[in-house]
Amino acid sequence: MALAAVIAIVGMAVVYQLFGMLFLEAVLYQTLKLVPALLLACLGELIAEKSGVLNLGVEGLMLMGAFMAFAVTFLTGNPLIGVIAAMGFTVVLGLVFAFFAVSLRTNQVVIGLGLWLFGLGLSDTLNRAFFTSGATATIPIIGDMHIPVLSTLPLVGRFIFQQNPIVYVSIALIPVVDFFLNRTNLGVKIRAVGENPRAAETMGVDVYKIRYIAVLIGAAFAGAGGAYYTTTLLGTFILNVTFSRGFIALALIYFGKWKPYRVLLPLIIFSFVDSLQLGLQGAGIPVKYFFLNMLPYITIVALIPILGRGAVAPAALMEPYKKGG
Amino acid sequence: MQTVARLRGVGYNALALAVGIVSGLTLVAAIGGDLRAASISLLLSPISSVYSFSEIFVRVTVLLIMGLGIALGMRAGVWNVGAEGQFIVGSVMAMYVAFHVNSIPAPILVVLMMLAGAAGGLLWMVVPALLKARFGANEIVVTLLLNLVASNFLLYALDGPIRGKASFGYLISDMLPPDLRIPKLIPATRLGFGIVIAVGLVLVFYLLSERTSFGLQVRTVGRNQEAARYAGISIPRVYMVTLLLAGAMAGLAGAIHVSGVIFTLDPGYPSGYGYIAIVVAMLGGTSVIGTAVASLVISYFVVGAEAMQSAAQVPFALVYTIEGIILFSLAAGQYLMGRRKS
Repeated sequence: MALAAVIAIVGMAVVYQLFGMLFLEAVLYQTLKLVPALLLACLGELIAEKSGVLNLGVEGLMLMGAFMAFAVTFLTGNPLIGVIAAMGFTVVLGLVFAFFAVSLRTNQVVIGLGLWLFGLGLSDTLNRAFFTSGATATIPIIGDMHIPVLSTLPLVGRFIFQQNPIVYVSIALIPVVDFFLNRTNLGVKIRAVGENPRAAETMGVDVYKIRYIAVLIGAAFAGAGGAYYTTTLLGTFILNVTFSRGFIALALIYFGKWKPYRVLLPLIIFSFVDSLQLGLQGAGIPVKYFFLNMLPYITIVALIPILGRGAVAPAALMEPYKKGG
Repeated sequence: MQTVARLRGVGYNALALAVGIVSGLTLVAAIGGDLRAASISLLLSPISSVYSFSEIFVRVTVLLIMGLGIALGMRAGVWNVGAEGQFIVGSVMAMYVAFHVNSIPAPILVVLMMLAGAAGGLLWMVVPALLKARFGANEIVVTLLLNLVASNFLLYALDGPIRGKASFGYLISDMLPPDLRIPKLIPATRLGFGIVIAVGLVLVFYLLSERTSFGLQVRTVGRNQEAARYAGISIPRVYMVTLLLAGAMAGLAGAIHVSGVIFTLDPGYPSGYGYIAIVVAMLGGTSVIGTAVASLVISYFVVGAEAMQSAAQVPFALVYTIEGIILFSLAAGQYLMGRRKS
């Protein structure tokens, strides 16, 4: 933690020295603004993985969520209804996934990749079929809040006190998910079927039911995360709008060692590098944009040997379970 | 008995494929595409002319070479989802050698280009393979992230090392000179000797997996890690070798594609073949012969799907959706097959 603080301060100091206060403020603001999509997907998938089901198709769910939120917001004019519709739709897709992964006990990698390709293709197909004739369709977005007084503070004002509500909600969900997994009856059951389903069943836990629930919660979260792109960041839908962030979410769970609080640090690092490179592309520095594009992904890969040490996955992750067998 | 089981497997896979195609056509109709034109072009256009027919084998060349590597990895239990990126890097490396290595007779240079492509794909896999073997990092996620890096690497290469002399500020390489292209097998088509290399590799992979101790090690690790450890097999080593080999194959496929079919690189080069190759390996049941047959079947539908896309005016992304559905139905087929067995 101390090391993280030192890295953060040094990083901020370097950016400040090179590009000045305004740039630093903009980068910090953007860093936090980019957090919710990843964080929501991450927390949801973490719950699913805790139950022993790896959903590689998070990205596909996010894409479908992004599209549904966009389409429904376009029709109703209310982004909140859009987000809820997105979550409802991804839960249905999650149900299909859970049926294959849990009831049919199929290879989770195969259907995970299948779900990703399905979402990637269908979201764009539907968008082109219904929305791209003529001008680009746009929707009202969920805007930033301006917390009185605090939002005028230097450095942290815009960064922390001038974000959209989803930012605060998603961060508040970290302790909620942690509490859910560790302190509630259902959460403990989820962890039990992810560690030792046989023992859990002996104790009278319905392994299939618990895994279905965990996958569906994960799907709802992924839908909300995807919806964030269209209803908050962009206000429109484009091909591959979530830009592989669903896969980043999978990597972040690994870095976070399957603990909700631990996910935040690698997530902020990724988000900071991502917003920094976006900022630098606009700042016109003599580094080509394709190098800057690579930066967030290379950062993630480079972090594996540092943050990935000692990561232990739930013991039954990716292990299909046969009832009573 | 085994033949019956194998035939049943083929039956289930064929059924899965049919489900995927029917769902795809349903989607075409649902979004208002011309269903009649879509069905005809999807199913019949690949056999409507010599050119279209040869196009099937143009796709087989690429998908088979990549699929062989991916299937071998799958058998050990590791997944190369990064074939798309390795394919790009392999293509760039081949072009780099073509434009920067001088005073070597053309035929030898072409061989060098192929080797450079394979080396590029292999190098692109070094990091994911090491992270998998050393830290247990999920190779699926890492190889996928490197695909995103690879498409930017292509932009970098087009901006500098392989930038065309007459590109006028566009990101495009020069055309490969005719003597550095892989010779054509059938004139007036795009089918070249790459297909011969692909068929040769089928033989190599067959011998590797069926007739060597390494092939046995791969299967043991994939089936039962406990038994593998007991038998003294180094699991990380098997992971490393299969992943690196898969990377080299994808890189080689890229080199063959660019020097046999495309002849130039631009930012639109990434093709999605790297992901389709996963479906090929899966459909083929990860066996060498199965992969070969599957590459033929999938290539048929890839050519058909491209014709369908323009005939029925549906977005290209629909092809991804169909791929996704096929993966789900293949998985369901394997469930049904498993239930028969027990």
